Amino acid sequence: MRRTFNELVYLLSGLVAAAVWFGLLLAGWLLTALSALTPLVVPVLIAFRWATHGLAAGEAALARELLGVDTRVGQAPSGGRGYLNRIRGVLGDAVFWRQQSFGAIRMLAGFASGLAAAIAVGSSLYLVSLPLTYRWVDQWQVHTLGRALAAVPVGVVALAVSVLLVHALARAWARMTPALLGTAAPRSTPRRSGLGEHAAAYAAVNAIAVVIWALTTRAYFWPEWTLLALAVPLALHAIGIRSLAVPRRWRWVGVHAATAGVLTVLLAAIWAVTGRGYFWPVWPFLAFVLTAGVHALVVRRSSLEARIDVLETTRAGAVEAAEGELRRIERDLHDGAQARLVALGMSLGLAEQRLAHDPEGAKLLLEEARVGAEEALRELRDLARGIHPPVLTDRGLEAALAALVARIPLPVDLAVDLVRRPAPAQETAAYFVAAEALANASKHAGATRITVRIGGGSDTLVVRVQDDGHGGADAGGAGLTGLARRVQALDGTVRVTSPDGGPTIVEAVMPCAP
Amino acid sequence: MRAVIAEDLVLLRDGLSRLLGDNGIEVVATVDNGDSLITSVLLERPDIAIVDVRLPPTFGDEGLRAALEIRRRVPDTAILVLSQYVEQTYARELLADGRGGTGYLLKDRVIDIPQFVEAVRRVADGGTALDPEVVAQLFAVRRRSDPLERLTPREREVLAAMAEGRSNAGIAEALVLSVGAVEKHVASILQKLDLPPSETDHRRVLAVLAYLQEQL
Repeated sequence: MRRTFNELVYLLSGLVAAAVWFGLLLAGWLLTALSALTPLVVPVLIAFRWATHGLAAGEAALARELLGVDTRVGQAPSGGRGYLNRIRGVLGDAVFWRQQSFGAIRMLAGFASGLAAAIAVGSSLYLVSLPLTYRWVDQWQVHTLGRALAAVPVGVVALAVSVLLVHALARAWARMTPALLGTAAPRSTPRRSGLGEHAAAYAAVNAIAVVIWALTTRAYFWPEWTLLALAVPLALHAIGIRSLAVPRRWRWVGVHAATAGVLTVLLAAIWAVTGRGYFWPVWPFLAFVLTAGVHALVVRRSSLEARIDVLETTRAGAVEAAEGELRRIERDLHDGAQARLVALGMSLGLAEQRLAHDPEGAKLLLEEARVGAEEALRELRDLARGIHPPVLTDRGLEAALAALVARIPLPVDLAVDLVRRPAPAQETAAYFVAAEALANASKHAGATRITVRIGGGSDTLVVRVQDDGHGGADAGGAGLTGLARRVQALDGTVRVTSPDGGPTIVEAVMPCAP
Repeated sequence: MRAVIAEDLVLLRDGLSRLLGDNGIEVVATVDNGDSLITSVLLERPDIAIVDVRLPPTFGDEGLRAALEIRRRVPDTAILVLSQYVEQTYARELLADGRGGTGYLLKDRVIDIPQFVEAVRRVADGGTALDPEVVAQLFAVRRRSDPLERLTPREREVLAAMAEGRSNAGIAEALVLSVGAVEKHVASILQKLDLPPSETDHRRVLAVLAYLQEQL
């Protein structure tokens, strides 16, 4: 009995709550829309969130008291620093959106369920109480006590049905409330845009408004205001989703321009449905164009500056990498081939000395000298290949990598899938990334198998080398650092992931303009 | 004669060892870095240390630094520095203390074994061996009102041989001249360049080098 009463009270509270939420959502979104392109949007949004949070906390307390569900709203998160971060802090806050969804549902379904419960219970009680009240009310042709008494069983049945209805509705609310208001686990499913649901909700609200309008006065077409006002958050939502496709740097300019467009349309629509006198939206429209233009210029300027920073850094890196490479070549020449030639000369000299008194020893030395000459040649060849493998120029990446892979003492799975041949600089960088990663994998990783993939579309080149070794590779090692600089100078990136236990993945991505 | 070798490339270290052994020079220790070189020189007290300029861990002028350190701590050890390349700047640093028993040669010179062994012995005996490359660098510098212009071509050859550290007999052998002729050339050179006659070959080399470097 008490439970039914509590549930009924909760459902009836929906009638009031619907009005409060309606006021809050309408005021909040209208103010947000109107202040969207001014600094005022930050305090408006923050106040909006606090109001939403407060109301949601009240709703949670109500559900806790009356429905007995364990629902508590969490702490309201504090906003970040900076203008954009604060906006992002509100609009990117999942809790805020869940509370907003709850408000919208409470506004519509809460009103409907409250109304349904009120009508069902009220009319049942009315029927039951008819024997006492039939004298004063004149309805449904109940004029005599007999008829009034006959209505009582109908009323009792209706009351029973009403109680079941109240239970069912209350259960639905008891399930939904903690799901939307609780601090319950965040969704583990990937983020969805929710734009479809939003559009459906927009359509449903306006359909209900139009139906209510059609069933009532049919005088002034007031649903035009819900149509317009609720279109703004829907449009902003759509803009937010679309903006993810815009390159990061221009995203906020795009959002700015699109928001200005939406507001212009909104104001023009308001002008259209009101007096249609003087076309006053021209002034905010001009202001929007001006601010969006200034925004675009500022971003362009700062993006150029950022580009200059990147170019300066990568140029310095490229110079350093080239210098390191030259030092390596110098050392390889001096300590490799040249040292071998000196040793070779020494063997020949000793053989010359010994020839007269120890022909056997001299013969051994000559043999040593011949082997030394072969090794010196091999070293020179390796060195030249390390500077630039000729086959790369003549036959391209696939042939060069196939030759490289053939010298690796491990099974290597090589797949090259290119739309067209990259420019020489990108091709060379890709080759050396693969070569360095292959050398590391075969020498240090303890791998048993290596996979090399070269691919990319018409405007990017991707190199990916993966091994099944024990991981723990040092991404800051000299070889990889030099290569990363080389790739960065081509506006690309090198990423090394090598958790302990493996696998190690080296991935270079670079743009290659057609 | 006892020698210590500091060279990080095994191939050359073993080759040098064998070469010196074949020519009656006992190699008492071979090391592959500067610190070990200093230690083994202190322990073995060799007549000569043969040092590669570039040694681990820095692969810079580690060998040269170790050589200068040995000079400071065991001054009577002769030092022959070998290198894949020669620079007269290094030569100046090596010869700066004005004592004998110093050599600075390209590694290539070991190929001419008799000449190389002769240079090792000369340095161990307190003489000087400077690579012809270094000498050529000294000669290559253009000077204003060059006093070297006053030398005859033959005298310039003799001067270069002097700078390399050769004795009169050595110069005579290298240039296929009589010792008497060499002595005459030397006297003429010293006079033309206004250098004092020196009692030892070593003093003479230093004077010549000082003269050449001063003109830079």
